[in-house]
Amino acid sequence: MKSAAMAGIGLLTVALLMGAAQAAPKTNLLSQWDSGSDAAAIAKLGDMFKAAGGEWQSTSIAGHTANTLAKLNADAIAGNPPPAVQLKGPEIKEWNETGQTADLTDLATKEGWDKVVAPELLPVMKPTGTWVAVPMNIHRINWTWASSKAMKQLGLTEMPKTWAEFNADCDKAVAAKLVCVAHLSQDWTDATTMENIVYGMDIDLDRKAFVEGDVDALKSPGMIKAFDQLRLMVSKYMDPGIAGRDYDTASNMMAQGKALFFIMGDWEIGTLNAAGYKYGLDNDYICGQSPTDWGKPGFILNSDSVVLFKQSDADYAAGGQLLAHLIMSKDFQAIFNKAKGSIPARLDVPVAADAGWNPCQVQSQKDLEASISAGTLVRSMAHNMTVLQKFRGAMMDTITQFVNSPNMTSEQAANTMSDAVAAQQ
Amino acid sequence: MSDRALAANAVFDAEAAQARRRWLTSRIVIYAILVVFAVVYLAPLVVVVLNSFRDLPEINHNGLIAWPRSFSLDYWVQAWSTYCVGGTCAGVQRNFYNSLAMTIPATIISTVLGAMNGYVLSKWKFRGSEFLFTCMLLGVFVPGQLSLMPWAFLLGKLHLANSVYGLILIHCVQGVSFTTLFCRNFYVNIPDDLIKAARIDGAGFWRIFWKVIVPISPPILIVTVIWQFTGIWNEFLFGVIFTSGTQQPITAALVALGAGGLSVHAYNVSSAAVLIGAFPPLLVYFLGGKYFVRGLTQGAIK
Amino acid sequence: MTTPSISPSGTAEAGPSFRERLAAATPFLVLLPSVIATLVYVFLFTAWTVYISLSKSAMFPNATLQGIKPYIDLWANARWNIAYHNLFFYSVLYVLGAMGIGLMLAILIDQRVRAESVWRTIFLYPLAVSFVVTGAVWGWLYSPDTGIQMLVRSLGWTNFNFALTASKNTAIYAIVITGIWQSSGFAMALFLAGLRAVDPDIIKAAQIDGAGPWRTYIKVVLPTIAPIFLAVIVVLLQFAIKTFDLVVALTAGGPGLATTFPALYVYDMMFQRGQIAQGAAAAIMILAALAVVLVPYAIYLVWRRRREMRNV
Repeated sequence: MKSAAMAGIGLLTVALLMGAAQAAPKTNLLSQWDSGSDAAAIAKLGDMFKAAGGEWQSTSIAGHTANTLAKLNADAIAGNPPPAVQLKGPEIKEWNETGQTADLTDLATKEGWDKVVAPELLPVMKPTGTWVAVPMNIHRINWTWASSKAMKQLGLTEMPKTWAEFNADCDKAVAAKLVCVAHLSQDWTDATTMENIVYGMDIDLDRKAFVEGDVDALKSPGMIKAFDQLRLMVSKYMDPGIAGRDYDTASNMMAQGKALFFIMGDWEIGTLNAAGYKYGLDNDYICGQSPTDWGKPGFILNSDSVVLFKQSDADYAAGGQLLAHLIMSKDFQAIFNKAKGSIPARLDVPVAADAGWNPCQVQSQKDLEASISAGTLVRSMAHNMTVLQKFRGAMMDTITQFVNSPNMTSEQAANTMSDAVAAQQ
Repeated sequence: MSDRALAANAVFDAEAAQARRRWLTSRIVIYAILVVFAVVYLAPLVVVVLNSFRDLPEINHNGLIAWPRSFSLDYWVQAWSTYCVGGTCAGVQRNFYNSLAMTIPATIISTVLGAMNGYVLSKWKFRGSEFLFTCMLLGVFVPGQLSLMPWAFLLGKLHLANSVYGLILIHCVQGVSFTTLFCRNFYVNIPDDLIKAARIDGAGFWRIFWKVIVPISPPILIVTVIWQFTGIWNEFLFGVIFTSGTQQPITAALVALGAGGLSVHAYNVSSAAVLIGAFPPLLVYFLGGKYFVRGLTQGAIK
Repeated sequence: MTTPSISPSGTAEAGPSFRERLAAATPFLVLLPSVIATLVYVFLFTAWTVYISLSKSAMFPNATLQGIKPYIDLWANARWNIAYHNLFFYSVLYVLGAMGIGLMLAILIDQRVRAESVWRTIFLYPLAVSFVVTGAVWGWLYSPDTGIQMLVRSLGWTNFNFALTASKNTAIYAIVITGIWQSSGFAMALFLAGLRAVDPDIIKAAQIDGAGPWRTYIKVVLPTIAPIFLAVIVVLLQFAIKTFDLVVALTAGGPGLATTFPALYVYDMMFQRGQIAQGAAAAIMILAALAVVLVPYAIYLVWRRRREMRNV
């Protein structure tokens, strides 16, 4: 089935390229997906590229995203930008402005991308109106994971719907000597938790403060309330060891029943799968939308995407077009996302439990559609989909400082965050 | 024996006994301190070695610092041939050879340059040579983050970006400050009379270098080689920024050891990869350690 | 070129031939490539960085100048201030600590202990390990859930505290300890070499004068190996200035902002946050911090040489 699909793509691709000059497509994808399931997923893309007659190379750099971005910068300064780079959010716009990105308009029009990609993603992929990047996936940030074992122990049967219910459940957990929220404190994880809180409490505040970067919204009473909730969680519902903990340990705390909740994006599915945990109230974990106080389906969106850069070598230029075409293909979107825990960036790829998708992924796609209809879809600040990095960095610095400084008040935090962002303007 | 002699003997014995007790105590204290420190110094190595043999579920269950309850040599094989580094899943062997290809030439070139420079700066001083030495010395302090973009520009112009030659150039330029420092301070201690005698015999610059300087250089050359080899082999930032895909050096594989996880963490395989990566510098230190101290004895430091 | 060349025949020639001029110039020519390389690497790169720090560079270098605004923004940034403070705090503790422990270990080993090469190898090997690996592995040791603290507590000492990286007040000490672990072996090697080179007659003279072991060391031996302290400080200082990999691997600059360092700040600003101008300004401030140490030392050197020449 898969090889037939690949052959089909191969034929289609050959047909596409027939018109173009006789170029043997080559590419080198620069990304930070260097280990484990990430690397395996990229390897699949490589297989598809090779099956379509292309020469595949990939450069993955471990560690912080800064390493990948530093290499991109170095290569661009050397006059030799990489053919394809994993970039997202505001960076796509910034690199587009340097004029070094390739144009995907023809491909986009031919394949009708505008119709099948989630509307919230379009301005990111088309910062000046023309297609510059192709999205590989959609990650959901507003998930809360719950340990089935802990739920049973506390007599809970469903996920909390509002923050008040969440706090009530947590009080029960603390009374039973459990950790309520498993957490690891790093700048992005602290920001993820804060984003979940702000979005859940007041979606307009989230839009103004985290999506638009409005300095008044950042120090508004609503933000102070959100910091209050974060302070409550850090001081009462989390354990003291959050700094210096690694991801796997935090995930295991929830999955093994030592903690009740874990607030994290959908890649957690990949981690849980790899560690052998199963979905279900009778198994190890269940998932639920992070609490919202406004009662509708909600979705905080994060998307990894690839930007193609102009290449003087015709082979690499052709490779870029081929790569973009493959990434947007329904088959790649299905294969790539199934293992990672995310859902396709194309709305017309079916995500069903009987096709091997995790129940949380199935729910995620349903909620995405519902959220689009309800007008509650937002992009994620914590995962670099909204404001420029300099503003995002200022916000994350404040949030993580707040989490690790018991003496910082919510008001101080809100003002500091607002001032820090204002200082960058 | 007379009473007094007996008494004197007793006192003498008592003093001797006390002195021996004091010596014994100091011996025990010395060895105790050394042992405690040795344990602290060895602990990280022991942990990594043990973890490279344990099964992953056992590590996840019992934690990273625990006595192993499983044992397998598989992970070493995996680290060498299937571990995912830098975009391919063919193990660290390629990276290992890449590192060798980069480190050995750069070490040799910077050592040779350092020896020649040290020779000039200690035995053939000219007006301004001390000032030049001080300028060269400043090179040891430049942080990599500062020089990253200028190097990128320079390598681009020289068409050496994304090639091992570019890295060799970088490491030579950055290393020559250290090697010159070490060699110059070592050669300063060679008596000038030796040089004068050779000159009277008619030897010129190069003759003196080969016949007088080089034969007594091994101690400091070994120090320089050890220092450079280790520094270049373990360097992460430039190694990863100025290479692509399959050219990456072995340090690219080491970062995954600590990298915070949006994907599954194979601690055992990455521990084995780390040990493979640490092996050449450790070997160099093991073999050259004695020369390291000896080379410095003869005044690498002044 | 001040070194005159003596021609093979032993007589001074009428005027220097090309060959003789070349021979006289050889030392300078040999040094030249390295000098040029270093000038480019140190001065040109620094000049470029200064230029960029005054420019409008954001995500990509931009040649348009804008003045000292990046410096103003830099010093107004709380994270930078923490980083700068950390640099000085860490450097002092790290240099003194590594020197102190290195000296102590060297003195102990110098006491004619058995299996000296074993001890020496054990204390020296950490230098062979990459900072990246050191940071990662010590991170495991410091972990509150799975590290040394858990191990010791499970053996009974329930109040044992080793999770230094978990609290923002103690995290910097974790970096200091780990840094000392990595580098004190090098200080030890240098001191050991120096101790070995001390003239035994001086020690005998001191012992005849009635000095005990402590006194001998402090009054006689240490002053003799004073030049070694300098070399150790130079090497340790350059490690301290460049602190990056160790911190990234051990704490990622956290908890919160507690262990952020200037080199991390430069890197983040330049590449993560797309603020190259401010990153360049920060890099220049790192060099300025260095000047605080180097300039007084250079002045001291000049003063000492003047004094020596007067005493000759």
